[in-house]
Amino acid sequence: MKYESQKIAQHFYTFAILLFFVQVLVGLIAALQFIWPDFFLLKFNVIRDLHINALVVWLLLGMMGATYFVVPEESQSELWSIPLAKFQFWATVVAITAVILGYIWMGFDPQANKYIFGTLLLNEGREYIEAPRWADWLIALSVILFLFNNFMTMYKSKRWTGIQGTLLGGLTFLTLMYLPGMFYTKSMVKDQFWWWWVVHLWVEGSWEIIAGALLAFMLMKVTNAPRHVLERWMYIEVALVLFTGILGTGHHYYWIGTPKYWLWVGGIFSSLEPIPLLLMVWDAFRTTRKHRVISNRLGLFYATSHAIFNFVGAGLWGVIHTLPQVNKWTHGTQITTAHGHLAFYGAYVLLVISMIYITLPLIRGVTEFNTSRGYRSFWWMTISMVFIVLSLTGAGMVQTYMERLVGLDYVTVKANYNLWFWALRAIFGLGFVYGVFLFVLDFFKLGREPVEAAAPANVSETTA
Amino acid sequence: MSNRGVRNLFVFGSLFFFVIFIALTVDTMKKIDKRAPEITEEVDQGKKLWHKYDCIGCHTILGNGSYFAPDLTKITVNKPEGYLEKFLVHPRKVKPSAAMPELGITPDEAKKIVAFLDWTSKVDTNGWPPKPVLAAYRMPQIPGVTVYQKYNCSACHMIGGIGGTSGPDLTHVASRKPDIEWHKRHIRDPQSVVPSSAMPPFPQISDEELNQLADYLITLK
Ligand code: HEM
Ligand code: HEM
Ligand SMILES: [Fe+2]
Repeated sequence: MKYESQKIAQHFYTFAILLFFVQVLVGLIAALQFIWPDFFLLKFNVIRDLHINALVVWLLLGMMGATYFVVPEESQSELWSIPLAKFQFWATVVAITAVILGYIWMGFDPQANKYIFGTLLLNEGREYIEAPRWADWLIALSVILFLFNNFMTMYKSKRWTGIQGTLLGGLTFLTLMYLPGMFYTKSMVKDQFWWWWVVHLWVEGSWEIIAGALLAFMLMKVTNAPRHVLERWMYIEVALVLFTGILGTGHHYYWIGTPKYWLWVGGIFSSLEPIPLLLMVWDAFRTTRKHRVISNRLGLFYATSHAIFNFVGAGLWGVIHTLPQVNKWTHGTQITTAHGHLAFYGAYVLLVISMIYITLPLIRGVTEFNTSRGYRSFWWMTISMVFIVLSLTGAGMVQTYMERLVGLDYVTVKANYNLWFWALRAIFGLGFVYGVFLFVLDFFKLGREPVEAAAPANVSETTA
Repeated sequence: MSNRGVRNLFVFGSLFFFVIFIALTVDTMKKIDKRAPEITEEVDQGKKLWHKYDCIGCHTILGNGSYFAPDLTKITVNKPEGYLEKFLVHPRKVKPSAAMPELGITPDEAKKIVAFLDWTSKVDTNGWPPKPVLAAYRMPQIPGVTVYQKYNCSACHMIGGIGGTSGPDLTHVASRKPDIEWHKRHIRDPQSVVPSSAMPPFPQISDEELNQLADYLITLK
């Protein structure tokens, strides 16, 4: 680590991975509620809200932490203001904790979720953006402070590298795309139309831009490959992400009450979305092959896995149901859940973890650390996730056939034909939780325990 | 191409696509309201309650949301008058096996939520959800079955795996209720034999139809 201010990243990482652990614990409860709906004190909807909100928030916190590391490194200067970054961190922690407590409160007393000045107090009842309006404003404020701090750092240093420019561009786009989720519409159709601006333009737009920039940064750090080549490919990747992804939003506008032309727009553009993701995989392999001096094998291993599973989860599992002819039958089934899990895991969970493994040793000032727990955690998480996704894909195929083609009732299919798939998901969910536990443990121990001779990773500062 | 060139391609190309996207959005916004019925005050209040109770935390609507419970886009189409209003207030009194929790919804709120769901059922969704293409179960060709289909009993009841789950499964109903007279009274006026029943009465059914239907039901052992 070169700059004192990069240490702030660790605050964000710590809170992020604690929320990751909470996310998977409640995920396991949700999975069991598929078998026994009354299994827990809190009802399924609250558990699910916690599961997906913890997910989104911890990934955002992880990306913020990563940005606080990348920007000083790229600008070659300290952060504009460390106190502001600390304030922004603690303000975020307070806001998030308040939102979580609000959900739990509502779980015990649904009537507590009242309308106050026209907005709901505890939960807005819109998937992923359940956080109430007052929290939206706090979160937006925190993100604006964060952007401002990083922008000032770059501005003062006058070093506009492609990586940090793209990173900040992606983060700005992300912030702007939070706004279409912040107003009420009387029409449920318009409600969902704008809701997809947020959800789709996040995961298939701004977040992929951030991923492209961070991937270039990580490859540069661990292989010492030349910047201009990495940045050129990064630009091509993120350009293709947006060229296909923006109009690809149309794949959510087939059946919600929007005009028919979206079937063409969405079908054509979203089918092309896997191309930039494949390019990222190729980029990771090409760079590694060419530049064999690798300073952090575990970090590179995670980064490459991120590229691969981004392509498989988002690209392949996305494209299989993206054509209107297919989506007509699979829309809103377990096929969607299967895709959602593998896409988020590959694209963003592995991204944040690889950033942590690449930057944390530098922050802690260690040149070598034990990697065996990091690898074990990878295999526990990845194998479990693959089997969760296969179980859900099976459940989705059965559901599509029985319910949509044959015409059986939803509840019958869920309770009878898919029961074993729910059991499998819960079992592999437990495996996933164990993998996350190993990762959390490793996070706290990294660089703080004696290095075993067996499998140390060499972490040296590269000079790119 | 230089890095500057690809960067500009990225920035201006993306803006170009975003502008197209905004143009399509403007056009779509103009058309959405014409593809759905008018939004009355009651529908709007129902939608607000939909958010308040976080219904989307378990259900999908227009196919989006959570996959824990059935899609509600067209839920009002096949349910008898008044059933949903009762169900929302006390789900497990109406249907003992329901996974749906009691949320404290009042009868007045239930009415508004149903008005909202009635609105979504009339949105032009380009034909979604599609009609099932495979006929699954051949029912015996007897008059009682025709009556059963005429009054759409399968909207709520299941026989041999086919049908709804709002009412009890009738596959073996005759083992529980072998008495043909009980069935006749029950169909005409369910509450007269089961006071808490959420099943609607069928006063419009003719005597002949009633006999045929009851004959069929007592064969279901
Ligand atoms: C990292 C990128 C991606 C992530 C994290 C992601 C995640 C998700 C999630 C969570 C949903 C479900 C949303 C809901 O709860 O209703 C979803 C839906 C969908 N995604 Fe993705 N996705 C990604 C990329 C893609 C790509 C590249 C494609 C197409 C090639 C795609 C195609 C779809 C489709 C068609 C649906 C709608 C499914 C339905 O009709 O029910 N996704 N995605
Ligand atoms: C212990 C492992 C996990 C279990 C048992 C689990 C279980 C569940 C369950 C039961 C649901 C509700 C699905 C529904 O509505 O039908 C859900 C939703 C969701 N989970 Fe997980 N989950 C786990 C891990 C993860 C991870 C690691 C991610 C992110 C990478 C994730 C992302 C999501 C998302 C985006 C949704 C909402 C959209 C959807 O249903 O597809 N989950 N999860
Ligand atoms: Fe999408």
